[in-house]
Amino acid sequence: MAAVARVELDQVPLLARPYFAEGDPGPIVRALAQVPELLTVALPFIGQALGPSAISFRAKEIVIVRTSALAGCRFCVQTHAVVALDAGLSSAQVAALQSAGPAGHAFDDPQELALLRWVDVVAGGGAVEPDDRAAVLRHWADHEVVELTAVASTTLMLNRFATSLDLPTAPDALDRLDREGLL
Amino acid sequence: MSTETLTADPAPVGPIARAVADGVMPGRVWMYANYHCNMACAYCLTESGPKVARRALDPETMIAVGEQARDLGFTDLGVTGGETFLMPHMPSTLVELSRRLPVVALTNGTLFGRRLLEKVEPLAECDVALQISLDRPDADVNDEMRAPDNFRKVVAAVPELVERGITVRIATTVESIDDAELDRLCALHRDLGVPDSDHIIRPIVRRGRADTRGMGLQAVQSDLPAELTITDDGAFWGPFGPTVHDDRLDTDLLVTRTTLPLETPARALLALLEGRPPGEDSTLNIR
Repeated sequence: MAAVARVELDQVPLLARPYFAEGDPGPIVRALAQVPELLTVALPFIGQALGPSAISFRAKEIVIVRTSALAGCRFCVQTHAVVALDAGLSSAQVAALQSAGPAGHAFDDPQELALLRWVDVVAGGGAVEPDDRAAVLRHWADHEVVELTAVASTTLMLNRFATSLDLPTAPDALDRLDREGLL
Repeated sequence: MSTETLTADPAPVGPIARAVADGVMPGRVWMYANYHCNMACAYCLTESGPKVARRALDPETMIAVGEQARDLGFTDLGVTGGETFLMPHMPSTLVELSRRLPVVALTNGTLFGRRLLEKVEPLAECDVALQISLDRPDADVNDEMRAPDNFRKVVAAVPELVERGITVRIATTVESIDDAELDRLCALHRDLGVPDSDHIIRPIVRRGRADTRGMGLQAVQSDLPAELTITDDGAFWGPFGPTVHDDRLDTDLLVTRTTLPLETPARALLALLEGRPPGEDSTLNIR
């Protein structure tokens, strides 16, 4: 099967070495490390967009798993389904998010329901209507909508990256999903 | 103010020029013109040979590297391979490069027949030195590590080049050489017209084919000169960086895939030399 090589651990380019200091950093980093000058600017951005910030861990994982499901990204769904569990989502909620079908039944917080609708609009493609923006802005502040939209948009970029390069899900993530009945 | 002052190019300014002037960054930029070779030496860093991928830089790219190297404040250029003179454009490219900065070009010295000698004659008027490999004073021992007839061709080519006024340096690459053998080798290069000041002796570095054969010195990044090295595959930490092992390009000393504008790898290399965290110069990519 044709595959793009990921950097071997004995071949890590100089600029990429800090990202490998604690061992295998995972397939996204190992793929990006092939172009180290891209890695060194992409990872701080990705880390800031998807990592800890003023938006809660839980809200970000809702966005990431839902966006990835809508984009059909197996790697990102499986990898972040595990993270979503760690962020406090229930197995039922994760199952609903990763189904790519209606997910509102698994949530009862109006703010999270508004977020789900917004993610479906952002990740669904096509026009975004003023009513869509108004709906999310009733539950989230402007800066929060900006950041949540950036999370969804960054996730979409990674979805296409991971799907196109057929990045493999870590075995321990698959084990966890299997135990949770999420595979 | 003199006319010369009015017409002279301004001295480069900027962080690269300062780093070179201060000795933080080496002044030479290397280019791997190609990876293929008419020989297949036992210790070759790049596993070069007649049938390997060429990985060639086109002459326009090489000249752009030379031009930008000068503008950034680098002081010298180096051209290596593969066998550089397998590239038909090499004589004219070296002339063009030398109009930007002084050049040393590495060659195995085996291709200098009558026609190539005619083509390289203009190099006598240029700031170009040809660095030719000659490892041993005896043909059989020399050729054992390099190729049959290598010794004969080199000792024939060097006087022809010297006679034409071309600067020739001799590079000796060995794991070890005893004093008596070295004395005879030096006597030989003097006889060929190459003074002691143009003879360099260097160790085999255990990368590429030398690694496969268990030869040479183990070297890590800090052991190797940080001379920015441009290849068709990217920019590397020195000419010992873009080696090939088991047909695979080594990337452990890769700096950037971007080679032009040269400022991108040059700044990345400078950041490594200064110990700055990766990404600190990321504003370079906003354009």
